[in-house]
Amino acid sequence: MLRRILIALLLAGLAGCSSVDERGDAATDVALRLLAAVDSKDGAAACAMLAPETRAEVEESAGQPCDQAILDEDLPALGSVTGADVYGQWAQVRLSDDTLFLAVFPGGWRVVAAGCTSRGDLPYDCSVQGG
Amino acid sequence: MKRFVKENALGLTFGLLFLIVLVGQAFAGLADYNEQQLTEGVQQVSFGRYITSASFAADVAENWQSEYLQFFLFIFLTVWLVQKGSPESKKLEDVGRESERDQKIGPYADESSPKWARARGFKLFLFSNSLGFVMGAIFLVSWLAQFIAGRAAFNEEQLRNLEDPMGPGQYLMAPDFWNRTLQNWQSELLAVASMAILAIYLRQRGSSQSKPVGAAHTATGVES
Repeated sequence: MLRRILIALLLAGLAGCSSVDERGDAATDVALRLLAAVDSKDGAAACAMLAPETRAEVEESAGQPCDQAILDEDLPALGSVTGADVYGQWAQVRLSDDTLFLAVFPGGWRVVAAGCTSRGDLPYDCSVQGG
Repeated sequence: MKRFVKENALGLTFGLLFLIVLVGQAFAGLADYNEQQLTEGVQQVSFGRYITSASFAADVAENWQSEYLQFFLFIFLTVWLVQKGSPESKKLEDVGRESERDQKIGPYADESSPKWARARGFKLFLFSNSLGFVMGAIFLVSWLAQFIAGRAAFNEEQLRNLEDPMGPGQYLMAPDFWNRTLQNWQSELLAVASMAILAIYLRQRGSSQSKPVGAAHTATGVES
């Protein structure tokens, strides 16, 4: 009986790990699609990867539609993935030249902030971010 | 069945209340969590997802660890520490682990004594300390669970604030971990101190945790 419980707990733990990995992969995929769209000058595809508030902020600060404004943002070129962390509804995806923050929205993972640079203990400074 | 319920009413009542309150906590916690998600426009989570989340686990574990720490300390410290006049204390002259005769162990065990009370060596040592050991072990496991789940919940906040998540070493030194821990410890320690001291002067007629109403304030180790 005890052995069965231990095996069940172990399997649940492994399932939890793989679930975190899968969610990290899904968040990374969205982050890469954003930067790839910007690289290929496809503003509409890039904006589709943004969180609603981030998209609104991009439009408001530039005073033009998102699909044009996003291409003028100073987002780094698509680099290689160095890591991803997922905690609850939030994720951080680290690339060689950029750090992005994502959250789960009704449509799936969306980028809340991109083009982020570390400021030590302070929040990242991001060229694109919501609110 | 009726007799079983009557004879085990204390454990059954508290067990049932625990389950009801835990479910209540889960629903209240879910509403609180989803309220924050709603404010940020982030996807709300289901009941199933919430009760398996780090946020819920941390909130549950931080209270469990402090309760079991309280019992562990109370069980172990009352071997050596006494409180004059308190029904929570044993008699002033009984300080220490007490004799084999008093504890009905080894040659002094009788037919009704548990088997391990008649044993010698490690078995007897283990059984003689089993209550404290189990409470202490549950405390450590709950505290570890609080650490693991608390770090994950804290890191979700970090990401929400566009900050880096913390590794285990960093979180061990983080104010969040110690604030969660110490705020629970202080309340448990206050509860034990209040109980030990108030029960010197106050009575609850018929309660196993009180002295008889007419017992002297100085009477120590007397429970009705």
